[in-house]
Amino acid sequence: MSSREVSYAQRLRRSGVADPARAERLIGEIEVLTGATVDDPPHALSYLSDPDVGLLQLLRVAEAAKSAGALDALVSLRGSRAGAKLGVMLGGSVALGDLLVRHPELLADFSTWPAEDDFADLEPRTRLLTAVGADPGSEVPIATVTGPAGIAAMRVEYRRLLMRVAAEDLLVSTPTRLFPKVAGALADLAGAALSAGLALARAGEPDYAATRLAIIAMGKTGARELNYVSDVDVIYVAQAADGIDEERSLRVAARLANAAARACDSMGSEPALWQVDANLRPEGKDGALVRNIESHRAYYERWADTWEFQALLKARPVAGDREVGEQYMAVVSPMVWSAVEREGFVESAQAMRRRVEHHVGAESDRELKLGPGGLRDVEFTVQLLQLVHGRSDPSLRVRGTLEALRALSVGGYVGRPQAAAMERCYRQLRVWEHRLQLRKLARTHLMPRDEDGLRLLARASGFATVDYMTEVWQDIRRDVRRMHLEMFYRPILPVVARLSADEAALDDDAARARLSAIGFADPVGAQRHIAALTSGVSRRAAIQRQLLPAMIGWFADGADPDAGLLAFRQLSEQLSESQWYLKLLRDSLTAAERLAKLLSTSGYVTRALLASAEAISWLDDDADLEPRTLEWLSAEADAILTRSDDPDQAVTALRGARRRELVRIAAADTLGRVNASDAGQAVSDAADMLIAGALRIARHVVARERGELARTLPFLIVAMGRYGGREMSYQSDADVQFVYDDAGDGSNDIALALAIQVRTMLQRVGSQPSLAIDADLRPEGKSGALVRSLGSCAEYYRRWSDPWEAQALLRARPCAGNDDLARAFTDMIDDVRYPPKLPQSALKQMRTLKARMESERLPRGVDPRRHLKLGPGGLSDVEWTIQLLQLRHAHAKDGLQTTQTLVALDAAADGGLLRASDARALREAWVLATDLRGAMALRGNARDTDVLPADVRELRILAEMLGTRLTGPELDDTYSRVSRRARAVAERVFFGWTVQA
Amino acid sequence: MDKQQEYVLRSVEERDIRFIRLWFTDVLGVLKSVAIAPAELENAFNEGIGFDGSAVEGLTRVYEADMLAVPDPSTFQILPWRGDRQGAARMFCDIVTPGGEPALSDPRQVLKRTLKRAAALGFTFYTHPEIEFYLFEPPVDGQTPKPVDQAGYFDNVPRGTAHEFRRTAITMLESMGISVEFSHHEAGPGQQEIDLRYADALTMADNVMTFRTVIKEVALEQGVFASFMPKPLVDGPGSGMHTHISLFEGDRNAFYEAGSDHQLSPVARQFMAGLLKYAPEVTAITNQYVNSYKRLWGGAEAPSFVCWGSNNRSALVRVPIHKPGKGQSTRVEYRAVDAAANPYLAFSVLLAAGLKGIEDQLELPEGAEDDVWELSPAERRAMGYEPLPASLSEAVAVMERSELVAETLGERVFDFVLRNKRAEWEAYRNQVTAFELQRYLPVL
Repeated sequence: MSSREVSYAQRLRRSGVADPARAERLIGEIEVLTGATVDDPPHALSYLSDPDVGLLQLLRVAEAAKSAGALDALVSLRGSRAGAKLGVMLGGSVALGDLLVRHPELLADFSTWPAEDDFADLEPRTRLLTAVGADPGSEVPIATVTGPAGIAAMRVEYRRLLMRVAAEDLLVSTPTRLFPKVAGALADLAGAALSAGLALARAGEPDYAATRLAIIAMGKTGARELNYVSDVDVIYVAQAADGIDEERSLRVAARLANAAARACDSMGSEPALWQVDANLRPEGKDGALVRNIESHRAYYERWADTWEFQALLKARPVAGDREVGEQYMAVVSPMVWSAVEREGFVESAQAMRRRVEHHVGAESDRELKLGPGGLRDVEFTVQLLQLVHGRSDPSLRVRGTLEALRALSVGGYVGRPQAAAMERCYRQLRVWEHRLQLRKLARTHLMPRDEDGLRLLARASGFATVDYMTEVWQDIRRDVRRMHLEMFYRPILPVVARLSADEAALDDDAARARLSAIGFADPVGAQRHIAALTSGVSRRAAIQRQLLPAMIGWFADGADPDAGLLAFRQLSEQLSESQWYLKLLRDSLTAAERLAKLLSTSGYVTRALLASAEAISWLDDDADLEPRTLEWLSAEADAILTRSDDPDQAVTALRGARRRELVRIAAADTLGRVNASDAGQAVSDAADMLIAGALRIARHVVARERGELARTLPFLIVAMGRYGGREMSYQSDADVQFVYDDAGDGSNDIALALAIQVRTMLQRVGSQPSLAIDADLRPEGKSGALVRSLGSCAEYYRRWSDPWEAQALLRARPCAGNDDLARAFTDMIDDVRYPPKLPQSALKQMRTLKARMESERLPRGVDPRRHLKLGPGGLSDVEWTIQLLQLRHAHAKDGLQTTQTLVALDAAADGGLLRASDARALREAWVLATDLRGAMALRGNARDTDVLPADVRELRILAEMLGTRLTGPELDDTYSRVSRRARAVAERVFFGWTVQA
Repeated sequence: MDKQQEYVLRSVEERDIRFIRLWFTDVLGVLKSVAIAPAELENAFNEGIGFDGSAVEGLTRVYEADMLAVPDPSTFQILPWRGDRQGAARMFCDIVTPGGEPALSDPRQVLKRTLKRAAALGFTFYTHPEIEFYLFEPPVDGQTPKPVDQAGYFDNVPRGTAHEFRRTAITMLESMGISVEFSHHEAGPGQQEIDLRYADALTMADNVMTFRTVIKEVALEQGVFASFMPKPLVDGPGSGMHTHISLFEGDRNAFYEAGSDHQLSPVARQFMAGLLKYAPEVTAITNQYVNSYKRLWGGAEAPSFVCWGSNNRSALVRVPIHKPGKGQSTRVEYRAVDAAANPYLAFSVLLAAGLKGIEDQLELPEGAEDDVWELSPAERRAMGYEPLPASLSEAVAVMERSELVAETLGERVFDFVLRNKRAEWEAYRNQVTAFELQRYLPVL
């Protein structure tokens, strides 16, 4: 092998040929077939995105041309720009190459096109109508080439023009610049195909004159920004011709519409063009295919959802009766702009915004269209801004994405650099999309997975290497989302806060419109806070100018954006001297986002942060937001007690540790990292830690005063009620009772001193929050002795106790003190709370007690139905029902022997004591009421977390905190429904009332 | 400001309207009205007019009193009895909370919500009520009401009050854009029937409310008294509001299927099955007063038993026979509703019952061919014709367990109706009636 030959193969390889030997063979065959030489193949092939395929296709085209006698047309293209177009087209689109193989006569077209084509004389409508033998000059063109032949003729003509667009697109050095022309030409082609399809349809419909049908393009076709292969979205509208009744008109129009669509998308000798999709019509795929203008109007006035108006933004008549099309537009266009005033606009605007910002349910990473930072994100950002500001500014009422972007920038609604960056990203994404689709004329938005595919795409779109292209793509994805934030939020900042002169700063009205659109109830107040946060020359103001655009978006995500922004301002002012605070927010997006969420959601956490800012530093680290385990807490308490000799200091330290844990749990709870029932457990753990620690200190203190017995006396603190069930909330009291074991003289006095000491230490006012100790559930209640010996307890329970005391014991759980005594106590009460048989009298007493409680315990002036604890179907209905089952059956069924409501509920259902549907109803009610109380405690502004608020705005916020998408009244309705069902179960299972038939 | 609103503002100015009455309906179906001056109108469209909702039956609880009435510009109408110049006009309102969300306790919202559910299934819901009412001499306290005439069904009374009355009322209704299909003297003395031309259910419910007002106004003008009480006379027939119902899918009548049994499509049969299955549950809504049950169980043509028939005047659900080729007018008639029902809620529960039938693909039982009243109780039971509730108390007890009604009305309205109706029943039970005094006092 000579050195020249080696370098030729190498040159071929360098030009992108994968198999040089095969390429040389193909070139040879082409030269033989055409009788012409191929000049400098490596150079020529280097322009093709896929040289191997290009060569093969050229050979096939040449063969076809030869047998069709069109070889001259092919050869004459040599060395010309037209020839170059043929080359890149064959290398860039297998499908269009195949078209030339089927129709070699189209080769003659190449030399007729302008060298630098802007498709000005494409005239697709005229050309396609002519192709089916219809008169393009007529208002109502009718095809004379009909049936399958007409359809084929139309499709060939369509592809012929498509070929022209594709060839220019593939050849130009900067396809991103040509893109708007390409997309416009493709949309016009689609419109022309529908016109020709309609002409064909009329030819097959004798009664066509009965109706005046217009085809309205939606989506990308409507906006004249279509891609090569995509569904074409349409809506049909028809008016009856004079003297024709409506019913007949619509019947004929539906037939015409169907036939026109079939001409484009049915199978045939020439492949289908694309799917015609009419699902954006009123009522979607269930609605009538064709409606008249009045019926459209009525629908949009009465029924349409917000997104349907958004779709109308891009509507444009493309085929059929021009006048009807224009009338339709005149009727629907104004509605788009009043959509902003409709109920639900803010919600759906928020949903759109969230989608861009969070990528809820992010699709595949390879998605150019739907992936994060993809085309859809660009479109949403632009449309949302159009909808927010287009109402007061008609200059924004344009269809296309790029037009709109420009109008937004000219109008000063977004910054010029941001608009330019967004436009660059959009164009590049679209060019990639086009290149991918061109190859096989297939509908795809997926970046190729394999190296080969990526290489071809890089070549087709002018990138030297795959790596470089991938890098640019990653940049674009990041930029799109960054630009969204910059475009959407930054202009809200006042003029003085601009980072550069190019920045947009909205005037007051526009800024307020944007703030309200994202959910600020008091945009004027918000503006004031923003101004305060960003004004001045301090380092703090400078950092906040950077931070705020993103923070505003996050506040808007929270339940109460206004409160969030205000709290942020307070916090910033309070921490203005703390370097770490701003540094943390600047360096950790996670921390900043979490802080925004906390401040705009939870008053409880906000107050805690304002009181002690250290917790802010946890926000950067997931591990710091994990509730601590009881072991961890106990070890910490142990360390505190070991190093401290001063009882007061030690108690304060323990109380501080509990406060810190409550903030941690509340923050995690608000951020959705733990659920309400796990939070309840963690809060109970913190109480366990504190009470156990306090008991240790109390022994020490009492021992100093009354002797050493205080250190060894078997003593037990038993958690009762919700605390016993590990279902405490942030502000709950701790229900307990104190038990000791007689260890000789003075035991009772010492036990009493211990109990009093513990209670005092926990309740005393101090620098750290107290924990209220409630011992009312002890034997004989308030009138009983504060401490009792085990023996006295046993005696009491055996002889005197009321059924309610057995019921209270169901929730008894030793939480601090002597282990042996704990076991003995538990064994003793098990006989009481899990009796072999519950006497009828006890049952009756329980029921009476509960019924009396319902009428007496409810606070005055409160609607019982809204009382989450004592109201019908509230917590107590569920708990009493479960507890009744426990009293009756726990003796036989071990699973019921638990202090926790949900565990017992599941055990009751598993054990067949409750119907599955009843268990579901009880669980649902209990969980919802618990969640609501938890959310209200976090909100931190309710006087009473037991009563569902009546204010619908507050309800909506709770709904948001619960992670539902309900409105306030809907949450109210949901609670009423859930509790009504639970009440029905309680009446049947607890009260034993039978339903009268 | 949308086009409709602009149109209203322009009309108000051109026609020199001095007062605009904002109408809405409480949960019991009583029309409420608040008048505003034209200058307030723009504000009413934008923000609504605030009012104390706690003063209106069932609208709110006392402590959440603030509500807003937002007029629906598409319901704008000049009130004809106020004269042509410097007159008054009315619009129906949607009630919203201060947060701008629809108030769940607004009956109009209940119907809107239910219609939206139907729309999601691709249906539009049309109704066409036949409204009966009595014309009495102006009432004297404590006396049995005296009808204006002694005529009967279809009687033409020469120079009769009723004749003149109907003519004036219908002219007025037509001038308010409410088309009347049919009107005649009914069977009872002084009893009239006027049938409204079918319309979508929301418009129709608005129309029924307007209708009642117009009838009362005209009666006052003519020195008589009109009443929609379900059963005002012991011996006369009651006043019903037989409601013809149809569903459309786009522009096609979804109840019609050429060639099938009674030309009824499967959708129609399932819808009817739903109506029948849930009839007892919805009765407390369609027949909401103590007095309603005296009509429902008053014999004659009152539909007391759950069954359907074609052209059977004793059946609860009747399939009218329509002229051949008029498939678009296929419909079913629900005969229990009385003239005092809240039309918004009544239409809502009927639609919901029917839709449930469609969703669950319920099977329609066999039709009834006999006069159900003629059958013995045992025969009726054997044939599976369940009775409707016999009293308000029974109806409320049945409704209380109805998930369908709870879901359709929303928990709030549901709860209110339950409480209100129980209270009504208790108040009624406290009465010592003329019947008791007459029968028992002399002998006991």
